[in-house]
Amino acid sequence: MATSKAPSADPKSSSDVPADQQPQQQKQQTLEEDDEFEDFPVDDWQADDTEATQNQQPQHLWEESWDDDDTTDDFSNQLKEELKKVEASKKR
Amino acid sequence: MSLVVQFVTKIRGFALEADGASLKDWLQVENDVPHIYYNMAQEIKSTFPDNGTDALEKFVDKCLPEEDDVQEGKGSPWPGFNSFIKDYLEYWRDVNFDDVVNVYTRLSELLISCANALANPTYGVMLLQTSMALSESLSKLVMSLTRQPEVLALIEGDETGDGESKSIVEMAADIIQKFFTSCLGDRSSTRWAPPKGKKVAVYLFANLTLKLLFACEKSHLAVQMFTNLSTSGPALSLYPASQRVTFLYYLGRFNFDNGHYFRAHMCLEEAYRQTHSQFLKHRRQILTYWIPSNILCGRFPSVALLSRPEAAGFAEIFLPICAAVRTGNFVAFHAALNQNRDWLWDRGLYIVFLYRLKPLLWRSLTRKTFLLRSEMMRSSLEGGEGGDSNRAASLALEDVVVTAGYVQRLLEGYVPVNPAARAKPAPAGVSTVFMKAVNNNVVVPGQDGLLVPPPGGPRYLMPSEGLIFGNRKPDVESVESVVAGLVYGGLLVGFIARQQKRFAVEGAKKYGGNAVRAGWPEVYTALGQRFRESWEEGMEAGDRGEGEPVGEFEECPGWVRDSS
Repeated sequence: MATSKAPSADPKSSSDVPADQQPQQQKQQTLEEDDEFEDFPVDDWQADDTEATQNQQPQHLWEESWDDDDTTDDFSNQLKEELKKVEASKKR
Repeated sequence: MSLVVQFVTKIRGFALEADGASLKDWLQVENDVPHIYYNMAQEIKSTFPDNGTDALEKFVDKCLPEEDDVQEGKGSPWPGFNSFIKDYLEYWRDVNFDDVVNVYTRLSELLISCANALANPTYGVMLLQTSMALSESLSKLVMSLTRQPEVLALIEGDETGDGESKSIVEMAADIIQKFFTSCLGDRSSTRWAPPKGKKVAVYLFANLTLKLLFACEKSHLAVQMFTNLSTSGPALSLYPASQRVTFLYYLGRFNFDNGHYFRAHMCLEEAYRQTHSQFLKHRRQILTYWIPSNILCGRFPSVALLSRPEAAGFAEIFLPICAAVRTGNFVAFHAALNQNRDWLWDRGLYIVFLYRLKPLLWRSLTRKTFLLRSEMMRSSLEGGEGGDSNRAASLALEDVVVTAGYVQRLLEGYVPVNPAARAKPAPAGVSTVFMKAVNNNVVVPGQDGLLVPPPGGPRYLMPSEGLIFGNRKPDVESVESVVAGLVYGGLLVGFIARQQKRFAVEGAKKYGGNAVRAGWPEVYTALGQRFRESWEEGMEAGDRGEGEPVGEFEECPGWVRDSS
């Protein structure tokens, strides 16, 4: 502590961690990988490394016209048959 | 000289130099410190035991006298600082790293003391780096506690591990929010100038708070923070990319949780675009909410997007849901949701999809019914069977009752009558018309249309599983109510002719007589229009002095963009 440099971490310090906490920490890491928005390993980066300033038109990422006009698929056929059947039963 | 005297003397030196970086390096709190900290802790225990006296306080005040004449750029201890250093020494005296409850309690107390010291308008800023480091330590500890419900329960005396057990995370978020507020109030720089002083840490503390609030599923508590940012926060663009992206990610999720899918999309799009292309894990995490935001706005992810490495596996999750929405097939929809139920549930997507996509499915089912009926009418006209070719474009609600009823029965587990006969082609020499006639005339007990109840009776449906409500059969009234809702939401364009019990399409002429395009506008356009209308209504209400003030259309509360 008499040194003016910042205290450095003691390599032995890991042995200070109680043994029963170690597996839990491991488990946490796995979970974090899945769910958490982790801290970035670097603080800042250039816009050139992202899509934000690449002045090209963004790629086609989304479908806005997705309506299904197919009336011959199995589901449509079932509905069609049902409509016909009900109609026929009404006529009877 | 004793260790504690050496330590406090060193701290005094850093305070006089206003050396925040060294203060941070020395004021460590985690267990992986050089052993000398533990030696100092022993010394404090023996010299200043916890016996209710103010000996330690007096010692600190003696070692850290306030300077009278401080030059520009230099510093001095102040009462809040001394109080924090005393608490810091007590922390080392009392902390027990084998007892996580003890660590949490001590660290929380220390953080509060640090926040008080940081609030000093003249010298507080020298504790900024220390504040960040301590807050990160507390956040790390609390995040690890959230995964140990039994420990959480111990801390809060809640042995069930639920109920109030999350409040510990809230308390930590509250503490860290104090730092946020202190930084936001710093006047060293304006909103639109590069941040100085404590202002440099506004988004760092905001992000730490948000992380905790989301971890304890209390994101609604972030409202005040976003409001404060909107009012006086510095422009986000002035901060490092990692902070910008993290903030926009959480703001996007906040809007998602509150049903503002267009705003969620705006935030998450920008977060995604600003993330370094090599940080695939972060991009994936953003996509996890960006894709659902868009689906809920009526836009489906493209093959190009789903082919990106960060989207690996997402096609299997999202495409079946989109396919079911596209066709109006409720059976496929529930199957698609249930196939990845756990994954969707864990991310808060299951319930949102289940309820919020239903109108889109109804829209597709009514559209399909209209298409099928139109096709049937065309073929009967061509076949010379008569029919009303002049009827204005409209959809009989009864037809929807038929198709919806069919889908409802499928959901209840009904099975097709003689499926083998339906699936197999008619034997050679037998006309298909004849086969159909035979099938149609088969009398099966309980038969309802083309389906028969499953053995053991219809499946019991939860309220959310049925088309209307559980096992309730769709009828004209319930279908009319659904259609009215779709018209109100802008997903159908037309009106309900109640006497005729039909939905009449409006504006087909505008589309060259294409009633389908007129009556069932593209969902994304329709919802965008509805979003704009509600914004305009808010603007008008604001002009009348009613309700909350509304910003620009593309504005997202909490996201401070550059001054224009």
